Amino acid sequence: MKENYMSETLLKIQDLRTYFFTEAGIVKAVDGVSFDIKKGETLGLVGESGSGKTVASLSVLRIVPKPGKTIEGTIEFKGENLLKNTEKEMQSIRGKEIAIIFQDPSSSLNPVYTVETQLRDVLSAHQKITKEEARKKIIELMNLVGIPEAETRMHEYPHQFSGGMKQRVAIARALALQPTLLFADEPTTALDVTIQAQVLDLLEDLKKKMGMSLVMITHDMGIIAKMTTRVVVMYAGNVCEIARTLDLYERPRHPYTASLLAAVPRLDRKKTLKIIPGNIPNLIEPPSGCRFHPRCEYATKKCEEEPPKLEEVEPDHFVACYEWKNLTLSGETGKSE
Amino acid sequence: MLESNRAKGGRAGLPNRLRGFLGSSMFRYIIRRLLYMIPVAIGISIIAFITMYAAGDPVALATAGKPNLTEAVRKALTAYYGLDKPIPVQYLNWLANILQLNFGKSLYGGQPVNHIIGPRIWPTIELQIVSLLIAFGISIPIAVHSARKPYSKEDVTVTSLSLFGVSMPTFWFGLILIIVFSYMLGWLPSAGAAGNPYLWWGNSTLDTIAHLILPVTVLVYVSLAQNIRLIRANMLEQLRSDYVLAARASGISERKVVYRYALRNAITPAVTFLGIALGGMIAGAPMTEYVFGWPGLGKQYVQSTLNLDFPTIMGITMIITVMTLLANLIMDILYVYIDPRVRIR
Amino acid sequence: MKTENDKPIARQKRRSASQWAVAWRRFRRNKAGVAGLIIVLAVVFLGLFGDFFAPYPAFPNPHYLDPLYKGDVRKPPSATYPLGTDGIGSDVYSDILHGTKYALYVGVVVTIITMAIAITVGAIAGYFGGWVDNVLMRFTEVFLVFPSLLFILIFVRVFTLGAGVGTYFNFLGISVPVGLTIVVLVLAIFNWPGDARMIRGEFLRVRELEFVEAEKALGAGNRRIIFRHILPNILSSIIVVASLTIAYAILLEAAVSFLGFGDANTMTWGQILENNFNYMQTAWWAELFPGLAILITVFGFNLLGDGLSDALNPRLRD
Repeated sequence: MKENYMSETLLKIQDLRTYFFTEAGIVKAVDGVSFDIKKGETLGLVGESGSGKTVASLSVLRIVPKPGKTIEGTIEFKGENLLKNTEKEMQSIRGKEIAIIFQDPSSSLNPVYTVETQLRDVLSAHQKITKEEARKKIIELMNLVGIPEAETRMHEYPHQFSGGMKQRVAIARALALQPTLLFADEPTTALDVTIQAQVLDLLEDLKKKMGMSLVMITHDMGIIAKMTTRVVVMYAGNVCEIARTLDLYERPRHPYTASLLAAVPRLDRKKTLKIIPGNIPNLIEPPSGCRFHPRCEYATKKCEEEPPKLEEVEPDHFVACYEWKNLTLSGETGKSE
Repeated sequence: MLESNRAKGGRAGLPNRLRGFLGSSMFRYIIRRLLYMIPVAIGISIIAFITMYAAGDPVALATAGKPNLTEAVRKALTAYYGLDKPIPVQYLNWLANILQLNFGKSLYGGQPVNHIIGPRIWPTIELQIVSLLIAFGISIPIAVHSARKPYSKEDVTVTSLSLFGVSMPTFWFGLILIIVFSYMLGWLPSAGAAGNPYLWWGNSTLDTIAHLILPVTVLVYVSLAQNIRLIRANMLEQLRSDYVLAARASGISERKVVYRYALRNAITPAVTFLGIALGGMIAGAPMTEYVFGWPGLGKQYVQSTLNLDFPTIMGITMIITVMTLLANLIMDILYVYIDPRVRIR
Repeated sequence: MKTENDKPIARQKRRSASQWAVAWRRFRRNKAGVAGLIIVLAVVFLGLFGDFFAPYPAFPNPHYLDPLYKGDVRKPPSATYPLGTDGIGSDVYSDILHGTKYALYVGVVVTIITMAIAITVGAIAGYFGGWVDNVLMRFTEVFLVFPSLLFILIFVRVFTLGAGVGTYFNFLGISVPVGLTIVVLVLAIFNWPGDARMIRGEFLRVRELEFVEAEKALGAGNRRIIFRHILPNILSSIIVVASLTIAYAILLEAAVSFLGFGDANTMTWGQILENNFNYMQTAWWAELFPGLAILITVFGFNLLGDGLSDALNPRLRD
């Protein structure tokens, strides 16, 4: 996993705010998020449900479902600010330059059309292509993602595939036009454990083959460890910590990150499972200041008042916490020594 | 060796394809359903038959207004209509006749029921089909448009009007239309299906159209209301689904996403509803036909039932029942073709 | 600083979190539903007290035709007759007021009977499953396929022949018209299968929820599970369906009466429409207003039903 961490930036998100304007109130799902995605890297985007990781990726593609709306921020991609693009411009980017795969292939594939039709829809959305040319390309794609008997199976419907195979179809769809950036939103959560590894390996393989950047959105620290070189940790719509994966595991700087790491059960060492007390905060009326402060052992008065900004702790390691200097957090215990 | 049906039939012509179809599970399914329909139809006919008898002696009822008739005449009438035989026998006779498409003789004048029912079948079907096509044709675009901008002014208007439509007594709506467009404005005929007293608007086709407008409007409006509510609700659900999001994420144009992806999935459950709606329309014909004096089965049914004219009632009931069952069958078959997830065993 | 266990979610004042309190709050926000409720309450009020402030008395009373005797037949709406007089010379406004109670009678009683049967059948089918379920579902399926209006007409016609038209029976001190009651019963007979299927569906759904398994594991008997656990959970669906059934029953009774099958001596709104059908050209207001009354009432119940549905079964956003 040697990557040149000085490599170029592919996508730069700055101060992104995406809110949902619901009847019950304004849900501040993504509230001031900034991070970069570098060319050719595998970036982890980690956090509990409700952290805003999915919404952030949807915001990049600008397909946040109503009543959501991105109200602030910039997203720089290949010299453009995506948030200023017209719908037509975005459509030519979606699927072609930036793609996304979702958690549950049973619901992300259209049940009434064959695999061939759906893949062809993507191809023809971006280029003029004949049925025959599409057919060839589709077989290629299906072979690429490891679906056997592509020629016959392309005429089948999603429900005729197993979970793992369905996800491969979804991956084929996402990669049909060789995007430079792929978001993978919990791609293995809905699959059997045995299949999970296969799909993850496939993703890694394809990423190398196609030279694209991959963003692994997950809450599973194991996947982070296996696949990513850099990680962004999110909590309740904010970014807590950004670091190289190794650095993150060896020396987490944010109490939340430490707790996340400590909450992973391990077989090789006996230890009590550390639980993070409390619940995910209400995003309509989030806690003041640092959103994690009600659950944080080390919170001070300042943490309650002002939300902390990302500071560079060491090269390529950023944290948004006032107390990082005073803490020596361990990923094992989740506490400071 | 496995060959697809296509490979077998190919260009070899009809016999092969027909053979293929006859051997297919779809064909067996249709046969099964048809066979299933028979006991249902028979059951319904028995219930109707028995109910009629609960009213009392048909001859007595039919001749209630004529006290001058002697006992002998009554007996003769009874024998003429075969009403002196025990009930089960009467039923079987009736059934046997029906299967030969002989609906017996009317108690209200003695005409063969076939002559009463015959000319009235087409007007009813005509009215139903025109209404159905227009209703579905209009409701889909409106529902889709509404679903794309939920709770917008347009949507709220549409939803309210729909709710209004569903709350209205159908026949009353017809009455109001007649009052306004026929009596007050004189633009359209108030009753009947054709000419009456003269051909409207010039020639006979236009005349038919002129007569169709009001009753079709009534049927369409009510059906529209139900359809729009259903399709709109389905569309809202589908537009929120993951595959729609994924389709958007692939760069597929919004138009395509809405119509090819979301609508396609939203319509599927509506097809089953179509079947029921069709059945409902067929059965609801009495109301509209009565108000507009439309010479169809529905209007005849109302009259016959009021007169307790057994044979005619039974005849119309059976025809309508069979029509409804067939409509349902067609819908079910259509459904199998539309939703690939449903496959016949 | 100690972590708190109770969230920033907890606010200063404690709001009741009971299912019903939450639903009521949601309902209050639903303007349409509230409008429906107001209409329904108004109708109920008129149903109970309308008879008292109608200027002219109800049908069998000879003064019913007073306008006729005054020479005011088929007069359009005016100051003396706010909604005009009808084809045979009665005051439309009074007629509508008197008819309100019949509409409510029909709506409520049909619904009660329908619900009683539907819940019983649906519960048995849905809970016990197996061949019981199969048989019951086949049975109700037939009703779905049936052209029910046709049969309703036959049944009503046949059964009202025997009954003394215009007679009443005494129920808890109120005299209830027999003819209308027959119509009510027939409507209920043909209405329950549809609702039974829905309730069965609900039973199936709730039965599969885990808490039922838990209850079983704790040793709860069938009856307890059905009454204490499943029923309360589907109560909301039942309420919604009930409200919509009332609307449907009123419409259907109007149709039946209009076609001439109703009790000619009971002046339901539908019956008024039937009486004035022939005078449509000369006294159209007599056809307009009773129908309007039906429309508004049914609309009210539909709004209410929709509002309740929204409040009790919130659709999950995002």
